[in-house]
Amino acid sequence: MKARTDRVGRWSLVGALIALVAAVAYGPAALAHGEKSQAAFLRMRTIHWFDLSWSTDQLNVNDEMEIKGKFHVFEGWPEAVDPPEVSFLNIGIPGPTFIRKESYIGDKFVPRSARLEIGKTYTFRVVLKARRPGEWHVHPMINVEGGGPIIGPGKWVTVNGSMRDFKNPVTTLTGQTVDLETYNEGNIWFWHVLWYAIGVAWIAYFARNPIFIPRLLMVNAGRADELITPTDKKVGLLFGAATILLVIFGYSSTQSKYPVTIPLQAGVLRGITPIELPKPTVDVKVDEATYRVPGRAMKMKLTVTNRGDRPVQLCEFETASVRFMNPEVCEDETGYPEDLLAEEGLSVTGGAVAPGETKTLEVVASDAAWEVYRLSDIIYDPDSRFGGLFFFYDDAGNRQMVIVDAPLIPTFM
Amino acid sequence: MSTTTSAVRSHAEAVQVSRMVDYLGLFILFFVLTGSYHIHGMLTMGDWDFWADWKDRRLWVTVYPIVMITFPAAVQAVIWERLRLPWGATVCILGILFGEWVNRYFNFWMWTYFPINFVFPTAAVHMAIFLDVVLMLSGSYLFTAVIGGLGWGLLLYPGNWPVVGPLHVPVEYNGMLMSIADIQGYHYVRTGTPEYIRMVEKGTLRTFGKDVAPVSAFFSGFMSILIYFMWHFVGRWFGNVRFVKRT
Repeated sequence: MKARTDRVGRWSLVGALIALVAAVAYGPAALAHGEKSQAAFLRMRTIHWFDLSWSTDQLNVNDEMEIKGKFHVFEGWPEAVDPPEVSFLNIGIPGPTFIRKESYIGDKFVPRSARLEIGKTYTFRVVLKARRPGEWHVHPMINVEGGGPIIGPGKWVTVNGSMRDFKNPVTTLTGQTVDLETYNEGNIWFWHVLWYAIGVAWIAYFARNPIFIPRLLMVNAGRADELITPTDKKVGLLFGAATILLVIFGYSSTQSKYPVTIPLQAGVLRGITPIELPKPTVDVKVDEATYRVPGRAMKMKLTVTNRGDRPVQLCEFETASVRFMNPEVCEDETGYPEDLLAEEGLSVTGGAVAPGETKTLEVVASDAAWEVYRLSDIIYDPDSRFGGLFFFYDDAGNRQMVIVDAPLIPTFM
Repeated sequence: MSTTTSAVRSHAEAVQVSRMVDYLGLFILFFVLTGSYHIHGMLTMGDWDFWADWKDRRLWVTVYPIVMITFPAAVQAVIWERLRLPWGATVCILGILFGEWVNRYFNFWMWTYFPINFVFPTAAVHMAIFLDVVLMLSGSYLFTAVIGGLGWGLLLYPGNWPVVGPLHVPVEYNGMLMSIADIQGYHYVRTGTPEYIRMVEKGTLRTFGKDVAPVSAFFSGFMSILIYFMWHFVGRWFGNVRFVKRT
């Protein structure tokens, strides 16, 4: 029996050690934002980000960078997501590694939520100031009330220097310039320590005498009233009066020091102006779209009509921030994040579409990004559709954007 | 020594053991309250306490006192009834403030680098002392609920104004009027907390013009009276000794 108990004890110890090692030995840093875990339909059929640029990917503490571009609010907005009537242009970073100095949708400053319209395209611009050294994944992001975060493409940005050097000056309307990193901090510590000390003194006064057993015995013996002496009451009165007086003093002295204050500002911003993109002269009808699971490839048969006066070629297919490029027509020159760029990911059979011509193009968008970014999960959605943007170029380098929203059929062979 | 004989042999030893029980008991009570009241607080008024740009004159003033009078009422019911100790509310608030400061300093500042002037907790010791003093002087739970509960609600805003007021100084920022607290909320990015989640006054008490804080505080005080009653009975139930008597 003892041998058995010893064996159980030994193996329990081994198990506990394995659990401990497993828990502490591998602790990778969480640097990105779980964008791959967002449902594929959410990324494909809500906000489409394009023409993005990051002003730099190397900067020092206190330097500023700018992210700008456009986003299209997709017509095929899914039923499961509330319409973007209360939306906030956010930035996806691991905590305040940068501060957000400015953000604009169109030319409107948007520190608060704003109303967006489905089917419209907007420009945006965000200015960030580096605060904490490190390598950070920086995304533009739109949060939609009732829908959650819709994250855009992320780029790795390196910040050098020391956070101790970071400054965040702001000038108030009363003419005072303050550093938001430390403003009011001494005041916060002073009042919290003062009140805490008063609270401790209140308990300590009663803890001078026995606290539990003798008092319990006295109360059980029906002598509870003897436990609060007249001196105790006087001390209580003193504490009560001092508390009220201190509150009055603190309030009035703050009022005299800061006579001009305002309530917190809130409310949805209206009147956000979208941009007007020229109406495309290319019509695209999706005859068939299949996703081949083993090949990580989406195959589309498109009927394309060119109503313009110049031949056009399909250059790019964008979906969920992944850009499938046709290298025979164009290439990215913006430094787009590599993991989201399939530079040779789009093959087009059928070539250019001449003016006035209607033609069938066979298009294959293939890349490991389908799997890496978990977009292939679209086939398991209850509403198996895909959405994206086609970019066509004519021979003069003019670009046209065509929105696509069509059912998707998986193939498993 | 058997289980029926005393562990102490003299009065001096009994006093020593009694004091040891006091210190251990106080230590345990403090940390049990730190944990349990902290969880309760974070689940009910979390963001209002986390962020300076949630500490407004309407919802913070309303929500904090109502949800936070719970444990003080319950603990007062136990330690006043059983021990005649008048610091039930204060020990709760000291416990939660200790837990909150540990959280704000180590998690919010040292781990995620939010500045302390943006994530400080609500000061509530003055409210707790008021509640305790009212109970001690009146000796009445009814009086404590009505006067203490009302005072508990009314005292939050003026007691915190020395800390919060400087953050409400106006700034013109990119053509918009913002308070310093608004700018803190805008600058120090909270990826998981978009602006629309912020539940603050949006001009919905317009009948009262700019006197929103007193109206909210009175409403909060009134609700605190009711919640005090409810949680007083939670405390009485929690502190009963029927089980011990039966065994």
